[in-house]
Amino acid sequence: MAKKPIDLSPGNWPQLIYRLFTSFKVATVVFVLMTLITLLGTLYQVEHGLHAAKERYFYSWIIVEKVWNIPLLVPGGMLLMWVLFINMTLGALVKVRKRWKGFGMLVGHLGMLMLLAGAFVTHKASSDGYMALYPGMKSNRVESYRDWQLEIMPLSEEGKAEKAWVLPADELQSIRSDEQRRYETADLPFDIVINGFSQNATPIPVSAPMASEANGKEIDGFKLSQQQTSKNAEQNLPGCYIELRPENGDPIETILWAGSFRFDPREKPMPFTFEVEGQKYGALLAKKTWVVPFEVELNEFIFERHPGISTARNYESRITRFEEGQPEKPVEIKMNEPMRYQGYTFFQESFGPQGSEPGDEMFSQFAVANNPADQWPLWSLVVTGIGMTLHFLIMLISFVVRSFTRPSKTTAS
Amino acid sequence: MNSFSKAISTCTLTAVLVAVTACNDSDMGPEGREIVIREIPEAHREFKLVDSARERFRYQSRPANSAGEQSTGPQLVYTTPEGWTDEGRSMMRDVNFTFGENGEGECYVARLPGAGGGLTANVNRWRGQMGAAPLSEEEIAALPKKPLFGQPATFLSVDGDFTGMGAGEAKKDYRLLGVILSAESSGAVFVKMTGPRELVEANAANFDLFVSSLDVSTGS
Repeated sequence: MAKKPIDLSPGNWPQLIYRLFTSFKVATVVFVLMTLITLLGTLYQVEHGLHAAKERYFYSWIIVEKVWNIPLLVPGGMLLMWVLFINMTLGALVKVRKRWKGFGMLVGHLGMLMLLAGAFVTHKASSDGYMALYPGMKSNRVESYRDWQLEIMPLSEEGKAEKAWVLPADELQSIRSDEQRRYETADLPFDIVINGFSQNATPIPVSAPMASEANGKEIDGFKLSQQQTSKNAEQNLPGCYIELRPENGDPIETILWAGSFRFDPREKPMPFTFEVEGQKYGALLAKKTWVVPFEVELNEFIFERHPGISTARNYESRITRFEEGQPEKPVEIKMNEPMRYQGYTFFQESFGPQGSEPGDEMFSQFAVANNPADQWPLWSLVVTGIGMTLHFLIMLISFVVRSFTRPSKTTAS
Repeated sequence: MNSFSKAISTCTLTAVLVAVTACNDSDMGPEGREIVIREIPEAHREFKLVDSARERFRYQSRPANSAGEQSTGPQLVYTTPEGWTDEGRSMMRDVNFTFGENGEGECYVARLPGAGGGLTANVNRWRGQMGAAPLSEEEIAALPKKPLFGQPATFLSVDGDFTGMGAGEAKKDYRLLGVILSAESSGAVFVKMTGPRELVEANAANFDLFVSSLDVSTGS
């Protein structure tokens, strides 16, 4: 029998798209490709770290993978998960024949859709950062591990500022090292030009031998030397060349480096200072920050070392949580006992400063995570588990009933 | 496809399109990413005003560059091997020794913030000064380690004709011993010894003694 030709007329397109998205073959291909990018991502992580691997393989739409120097396009995790989500929604929930025997499978697929939805919410709405406090310090401000933004603030003679103009991290970090971008705002009497942004860099004095290998321009006796990015993205210290162009007057050029920000919660950041129209300004690469809806005061940081060596044996923090300025509750945060409150989780992460000796005052650092979907994988597995159990039970009952009702075959001798 | 299926399909695809559009907000160009104003919280309103790029780039904690000046930052402490002469600090060197009958052997310590140019570039720069071919990253990763400030630092030993910075003619039959600690967070440290091969060979144990004795003291 001759195969019926496919109707490609525009009127039939919705039907064709629906058939494509509900295809079981598409689902199979997606699963194979997901296995492939999981493998590639795992191998990439060894060399480049977790953050870079997630960005390249799992948050991307298309990956350009080079095989023997030939660029090969591979669908990224984002694309695959969307296709799978549509395929499961349409194929397993809409297109499938609704009958009681398929109820378990329906519930199972719902669980898997929850897992995909949870991954999306985690990607779009979760945040992670840290809060470092010395005993007696109180804060509700969380600093990003990896995101740096450009801040320009009008400074008083004493070095104080109340507000800052911010070039957001996602914009600043999207500038390539060989790219120039110009920004202006009506509130500032100068334009800001970024002449190349390096994700990891070191300012090197021109008198240093390795300065000859740095390609950047020499400013104030320094060149910005681009470094290979670290596997641990939080260890990168970005840098950029910046030019401030007043309406009247000569442009002001300098190098900004993330190392001028603070490494210690008591340290004051060191901005590049300049004057335009009689007003002193500061320019700084600063960590992106956000606030949590309550304050945390560190009352005591307990740090125990192994006898005779400086390695930590145990450390924990005693804090007081403040709501609207009022003490709400004392809490202990230990290495494996985080504080969970209002959707935020505070983990006891580390301590500082580096190289502190017994008797030195130390600060405590908390990892602060916020993920509205952090329990979704668990719930989705529960739902999927229930669905699979129902399906096996239905199949078992169906088999048993069929066995008893099927007329037995008798052979006449 | 019945009407119920059509309705569900349309809703799903519309929801997906909306979500995908929302995903792309970070791809907007500069026009869409305006500079925003933020209030600086009370606790973070003070900044340290510094006069020079050196200080801003944290070179102020390095020891002062002449022996007469005192630094308030961390100081290097070490054991001076017998027969070595401390030549005092210079612009780029925190510790500077000579040794040998005519002071032809040299050993110094230099520190830089960040990774200081990176391990690969520095290893190959030193190898280049000895007329040796550069090494690959894998070969450099396989180089032996020596403890420096309690951390494993890359050690290299290269024989050849030495052409130092600014030197015109190569010095024949030299040996270079070097230790590099290249850490992004705590800065890079370089310890380098050069001299006639036999002299350096005779001082190899002194080099190890010196490297292992290096420590930081927070002087006031």
